Amino acid sequence: MKVAIIDYGMGNIYSIQSALSFIGVESEYTNIKENIFKSDRIILPGVGSFRKAMQQIQFLELDRIIKEAVYERNIPVLGICLGMQLLGNSSTEDGYTEGLGIFNGIVTKFNFEDPGIKVPHVGFNCVNNPSDSVLYKDISENSDFYFVHSYKMSSTETSGIGYCNYVMNFVASFEQRRVFGTQFHPEKSQTNGLRLLKNFIDLAR
Amino acid sequence: MLSRNFRLQKVGDFSWLKKHYNFEKIAFSIDELIILDVTREGRSINEFSAAIKEVVKNVFIPVSVGGGIRSMSDAEIMLNSGADKVVLNTALYNDRNLILSLIERYGSQVIIGSVDYQIENGVKNVYIENGVSKIVENLEKYIENIEKMSIGEIYLNSIQKDGTGQGYDINSLSSILLKISTPVILAGGAGNHNHLIEGLKQNSVDAVATANLFNFLGDSLPKSREEILNQKIDLARFSTLDSFIK
Repeated sequence: MKVAIIDYGMGNIYSIQSALSFIGVESEYTNIKENIFKSDRIILPGVGSFRKAMQQIQFLELDRIIKEAVYERNIPVLGICLGMQLLGNSSTEDGYTEGLGIFNGIVTKFNFEDPGIKVPHVGFNCVNNPSDSVLYKDISENSDFYFVHSYKMSSTETSGIGYCNYVMNFVASFEQRRVFGTQFHPEKSQTNGLRLLKNFIDLAR
Repeated sequence: MLSRNFRLQKVGDFSWLKKHYNFEKIAFSIDELIILDVTREGRSINEFSAAIKEVVKNVFIPVSVGGGIRSMSDAEIMLNSGADKVVLNTALYNDRNLILSLIERYGSQVIIGSVDYQIENGVKNVYIENGVSKIVENLEKYIENIEKMSIGEIYLNSIQKDGTGQGYDINSLSSILLKISTPVILAGGAGNHNHLIEGLKQNSVDAVATANLFNFLGDSLPKSREEILNQKIDLARFSTLDSFIK
């Protein structure tokens, strides 16, 4: 079992790597096509600006590589935080930017009229597990995960979505065959997150 | 006891810390870990980052790191060593470009703006450089200014209360707190779980920080968490690493 963590220069991957190594999985931080295709799982990390991330991804031709890995080579992919948003169709961060379009979701900013409601949404918050979930296997309903984000995803998909509520419901996670994403940071969510990562690693292909 | 400042009381170096504190265990009583380097002279970012790497191994919660971060490369080193956020105090005041570059590269959430203040003749003065230099703006004005840069969080520390264990400076802050639209971490003064509860119940306080309980009172952290939960304050619940390994 080997995990490729996609390197497009914007990851903060030390803790993802330590979490994986804690659950006994080898990982490699890479943007080399051959290594990504040889891996058993792909993690798309990311913090920072959506537009910058997409530019980097396109510059390194990682968009085509990721799509080929997922669609043709059946390698499961997990996007984390910005990485999850990048799997979606678009974001309004810094104007309008198209995403990878692997998952049907759009990303917009939290925008509250009440100045008492703070952005970013930061801290532990609980998630409604979707039914028949692979990611949340053995994780109890409404478990806490760590969020830190100013943009949130919404989707018209109905199955496989885990919701979190911060004044409004937004997509906390999705799972569709080989395509997974979490808005929260499993690598920063204590045992709940470790278990979720392990579920992603252990899933049957 | 009011004059004792535990924050700056030397208790040992990092290896002492590792030996006496099991961070893997402590992590299950807290939501986030903040590590501040309060060395005044001869700071080394490389030594600090190496220490961070060691300390945060098997700590799976957000880690914020501060003290002496003055450049993009300092921040980058810390973020590649297991830190998720950097805590900036002096640079927050005198290096706007650094703040903006960090936000552009890593996003707003990467910056915790640390603000040290003390009340003198009824005025809330802001201090930088380890609490040594007073700046011109008062607390209210300063917070207004730093909020314009849209940083992720504000770590608000009362110099006078820090280390006293007598409770947070809630009374003098309440009107300012209501005007802040950035998440606030309240720091300085917590000495027992009632102080933490008082802080958390305050409108517009999003988190409470403590160094005192953590360093000096044995197993009071897990107990404090229990007490807070008993007060129906909604904290996250996690099982321990031991239960995960089994």
